[in-house]
Formats: sequence, structure tokens, C-alpha cells
Amino acid sequence: MSKSQEQQAEADSSPSSSSSSSRSHPCPICLSPTPQLQESYLDRCFHKFCYKCIVQWTKVVASKYSEAPSSLKCPFCKTENFSIIHGYDGSSFERHYVSQIFSDSVFFTEAHRYRLQCYYTEPGFLSDAFDIKRFWKSRKYLQSNPWLYSWLKREIQALMQEEDVDVVAHHMLGTMESSLRRDDQRKLKAPEERQGEFKTLLRDAARPFLTGRTDRFVDETELFLASGLNLEAYDDVCMRRLGLKDAGVDSPEEPTNDSAVVPQSLFVSDEDPDGAE
Amino acid sequence: MQTSRARLFKEYKEVQREKGADPDIQLVCDDSNIFKWTALIKGPSETPFEGGVFQLAFAIPEQYPLQPPQVRFLTKIFHPNVHFKTGEICLDILKNAWSPAWTLQSVCRAIIALMAHPEPDSPLNCDSGNLLRSGDVRGYQSMASMYTRLAAMPKKG
Repeated sequence: MSKSQEQQAEADSSPSSSSSSSRSHPCPICLSPTPQLQESYLDRCFHKFCYKCIVQWTKVVASKYSEAPSSLKCPFCKTENFSIIHGYDGSSFERHYVSQIFSDSVFFTEAHRYRLQCYYTEPGFLSDAFDIKRFWKSRKYLQSNPWLYSWLKREIQALMQEEDVDVVAHHMLGTMESSLRRDDQRKLKAPEERQGEFKTLLRDAARPFLTGRTDRFVDETELFLASGLNLEAYDDVCMRRLGLKDAGVDSPEEPTNDSAVVPQSLFVSDEDPDGAE
Repeated sequence: MQTSRARLFKEYKEVQREKGADPDIQLVCDDSNIFKWTALIKGPSETPFEGGVFQLAFAIPEQYPLQPPQVRFLTKIFHPNVHFKTGEICLDILKNAWSPAWTLQSVCRAIIALMAHPEPDSPLNCDSGNLLRSGDVRGYQSMASMYTRLAAMPKKG
């Protein structure tokens, strides 16, 4: 292990410890002292964890059942617990029931659920909806796509089932931007070559986080880029294909976090005339 | 990814600090990769593994500690719950009974306990399991101690 890594580890542990008691009893999951605001306890055995850590673990346990379980074994002593006590301020506290934690994760919206569902359907159910070949041939990728970041963020959140994915999303965005808009002096690169290069780069960047879903993620992202649509419009096409939505009938959609709302009609016809063969 | 790394650094520091506290276990992190560890464990006394030193290889997943580390024996061992060829270990806490409160150090301790208390009813090494299940404790012990001598002890001369 390198020196700098060690120093980083050192720095991680020293300043954040709020009290001496939390120092001697670090959270059994992250092994770090629990910050005061994160302090939480299981209702039966009163073992202490970071709220973030124990909720994450509850979700992992819950994901192994088809229905959300009502109790959680303490990771430390195996006592059955039914709720997590959190936010104790001397007089009041919040109580989160294990059975609810899986369903009330705020960030995981309907949109995330449907995206995750896409990864369970046959690949290629959308591939004839958009012209991927033309995307590469016409070099449309040279224009930056303003929705790409929101897209990446939502995909990664859905796949990792984790809310805080900004670092990962930025990392992938950086990789993609530099690959797509690298100004090649030897412009003669064939579109196929460009495409292959891009996909390899993105795959390498994504693999540590998405593991088994990586290849599919790369394909989905390529498809989204090729579509030239914003999130809403893309979802619309996609959900119709999946049969989640009737053609014609417009059900109100879950607004997606921070994507700009742009009139759909502007983008449906966004075809590059130069790209025509 | 970040959480697993941070947690492994904690374990690394703990291991450095507690060096020699448990003379039966020596945990070493790979120089260049904190997701790869090896351990040397001493065969527990009053078992056919006594006197042997066994090497374990740890491969730690990105989701650690929400997912268990993958551990296998690099040293050959004749034990009902260890695959004779691959070194794979059948131990509940490494599979569905995993809890994030386990550490690499405590996993090593659990493996030492497994060496002393084999579970012949869920065998990965059927020959070894069958000896115990048929009540041939002497046969099991002599096989196990032969392999301990062959594979887990320094060669003489």
C-alpha cells in the first residue's frame, strides 16, 4: 500500500470523530466513528450503527426476499429487530420500521424502477427504434448532449440502487465526453472504429461499479445518445415498447430530477440531413 | 467502491496496530491492491492440522462489507468443508449468513474454528466427509495429518 493511501486513511478517521464514546464503539459496518447526526440504534438490542450503513444493509437483506421482511437481524448480535431509532435529540426520535425501509427509499422513483426493468428485458427491444449506425456515421456525437448527465445519474442509481452516485456519474461523463469529442487529426477513422473505441472506454470506466450489468449499460447509453431525445421523450418511446404505457393515452409521468423539460416535438424530428446516405 | 475502500483501510490499520495480538493469524494486504489479501493461519492444536501453516487468499468484492469476501485455501488441506482441488470453503458466514460486522480477521478466526470442528454433513470433500460420517475418526485424522505434513509444513533438508 502506498504512503499517500495510508495518509488518506489516517485523515479519514481522525477529524470526524464526534465524541470519545463513538470512537471506542465504531459502527460495525463501516468501522468508522458514527457522526452525531447519523447515530441510530436497533430497537431491541440497541446496537449502534450509522443510519446510512444500517439502512443500506437492510436494503441488501430485503432484496433477497420477494416481499419486504418485517424484521432485521442485528449484524452484530443476531437479535431480531423491527425498527431503527434515529435522530434522537434528547426528547424525540424518529422510528423507521424495517418493513418500510425498502419501499420508502425516496430517491428510487417509478422511473428508476422502469429503468431497472429495462435491464431485465431482452436486449435489442428498442434497437430498431433509433438509428445507431447513423449516429456514428453523421458524427452527431460531436454535439454535446445536455441530458447525458441526468441520464447517467438515473441509470447508475437504478443499477446500483444507491442515491449518492454523483462521483461515479461524473467519472463516466468525463470518460465519455473526452472520447466523443476528442478531436482526431487523422479524421479518417471509420465510424465503426469510433464506436468500438467509445464503447470499450465506457465499459472500462463502468465495470468496477456496474459489474455484470456493464455491457448492457453501455448499449443502453449508446441507444439513448443515438436517439437524440431528452429523458421524458426517450422514456415515452421506451415505455410504449415495453407495454408499460398505451400509445395515445398519456399518463402523468414522474418528473425526473433535474432534466430540462423541453418540448418533445423539437426532438422527434431531429435528424441530421447531412447524415443521409 | 469508496465505502469498501475506506472500510478496508480501517481494517488494514487495525491489523497493523494489532500485529502479533493473535499469534495464529497473519493477515497481509497486497502491496498494490487493497481488494486482495492473503492470510497465514496456524492449524489449531489437538487437531490433525496442528503444526501446519495454511495460506488463505481473499478476494474482496466492491460491495464489501455488504457482500462477503471470497476466501479459499491456497495450501492443500484434507477437510470435509474445503474443496480438495480449488480450496473453496463451505462456511455459512461466507455465504448466506454473512453479516457486515465480520472482518477479515474474524473470518480467519471462523475458518480456524471450522478446521477444528468440521461439518461432515455439508461436504465439499466427500472422501473426507464420508470418513467422518461413517465414524472412522482415526482414518480421517491420519489422512488429514498426512496432508498437513505434506503440504503445510516446511520441507526438511
